[in-house]
Amino acid sequence: MKFVFSEIAQGFRRNLSMVVSVVLVTFISLTFVGTASLLQMQIGQMKNYWYDRAQVAVYMCSDVSAADVCPQGEASEDLKASVQDKLESSTLSEYIDKYYFENHDQAYQTFQAQFEGNAVAKYVTANQLNETFWVKLKDSTQSQIITESFTGVAGVEEVRDQRSYLDQIFSILNAASLAAIGIATLMLFSAALLISTTIRLSAFSRRRELGIMRLVGASNFYIQLPFILEGVLAATIGSVLAGGAVLAIVQFFVQGYLAERLPFTSFVGLTDGLLVVPMLIAAGIVLAALASGLAIRRYLRI
Amino acid sequence: MISISNVSKQYKGSAKPALNNVSLEVEKGDFVFLVGASGSGKSSLMRLMLREDVPTKGSVHVLGENLVGIPSRRVPFFRRRLGVVFQDFRLLPNKTVAQNVAFSLEVIGKSQGFIQEAIPEVLRLVGLDGKADRLPSELSGGEQQRVALARAIVNKPALLLADEPTGNLDPSTSQDIMALIERINLAGTTVIMATHDRGIVDRLKKRVVELKDGEIIRDQVGGSY
Repeated sequence: MKFVFSEIAQGFRRNLSMVVSVVLVTFISLTFVGTASLLQMQIGQMKNYWYDRAQVAVYMCSDVSAADVCPQGEASEDLKASVQDKLESSTLSEYIDKYYFENHDQAYQTFQAQFEGNAVAKYVTANQLNETFWVKLKDSTQSQIITESFTGVAGVEEVRDQRSYLDQIFSILNAASLAAIGIATLMLFSAALLISTTIRLSAFSRRRELGIMRLVGASNFYIQLPFILEGVLAATIGSVLAGGAVLAIVQFFVQGYLAERLPFTSFVGLTDGLLVVPMLIAAGIVLAALASGLAIRRYLRI
Repeated sequence: MISISNVSKQYKGSAKPALNNVSLEVEKGDFVFLVGASGSGKSSLMRLMLREDVPTKGSVHVLGENLVGIPSRRVPFFRRRLGVVFQDFRLLPNKTVAQNVAFSLEVIGKSQGFIQEAIPEVLRLVGLDGKADRLPSELSGGEQQRVALARAIVNKPALLLADEPTGNLDPSTSQDIMALIERINLAGTTVIMATHDRGIVDRLKKRVVELKDGEIIRDQVGGSY
């Protein structure tokens, strides 16, 4: 064992620059992997949070609605009452958690609040905005029931599930995390190549010792172990750094910056980060062991 | 001890086989000179006996192991049972005499206790007592070959393979090394020695196996070059 460790120390000294580059490449690529998996967790959390709050909007016809959907113009009180009756009816009410009606004035208030400072807020008038039944379902995935019940009904302009807006945002975030994973995969591949080159160099600089070890009958395991450990140790340093970087991102960027600026969104926290770190370290170790094991096996035929 | 039968070795990319239908039997305690011009197949034959290579055809048995069928994980254990020396000594330049010998024992997992005991003994045997702490660069060629011999025999092997051990040495130093190898042989170790040195072969009157173009053309007990 003493021999194995002195061999590793020697190997590190002999090709320090290569070892440093292995450390850096594993560090950066695993940071990418870690960030991408945190982003996936974030998407999952946001889905839970927002889907839970998503409502189905039943937009009533207004003066400015297109004539082919709303031939009668502004929905009359009777039409609104019939929609309300239908929502109250026994067939639909069992799916509905609660609903409320938003008239022109309320819609105008909400709009002004949402688009405060935006030019469009000046031009919009109350009767351009739809009166709306906001329906909160017990199970937000069952929006189909409302859509089918009210689409085409007289006085209803459109039925819209808010989840369809959310889905767009999530698909953008998802694409970003997939891109990060793609880059990380490429970098992990180059890390593996770099590790095997390093090991080869290391074996080349020790070829005299290796030749003698083979002649006197050192076992393959004994010959190969220092090289594999050399690669694994370098990659472990890189993955520990990557783990530290991921935790720092969570602590200082997500919790320290994003969470303060977007108080109504729940973000991934240190507990999620701590789940990712062991995964990264394990990935680094497995990758390095495979890369250096294969490299040394090909270089050191008996 | 050694049984080689109908062995041929064909290297990729060369038209002529390096060894062509070679058969050789060596008994325990024998001393055999392998002679022949460069390219006659001496080194190929040595490589087969070391299991650095496998023959294209035929069978090689050394120390009771079938070297054609031996699984590669058992090759190291086979090699522990024989000693090897070369023309170029193959010492580690940054290790002392004692460390060079100790290295070969450490890497096969011998205990420190065993190593502490075995090294002074083997260095005395090869005539290097008092030089344990020298570096190879501080030694003469003959002394370096003694270190290599010490490393080869420290494990008390049943067989010593020597590939031109005197090739880099002047005649009088060669004589000293040969005296040492003879002593090792007298202690019971079988010796196979490939050489170009006519003087040594003629003087020692041992069994001589001559190779030419990959074939054995002479196998003579008490022969000369």
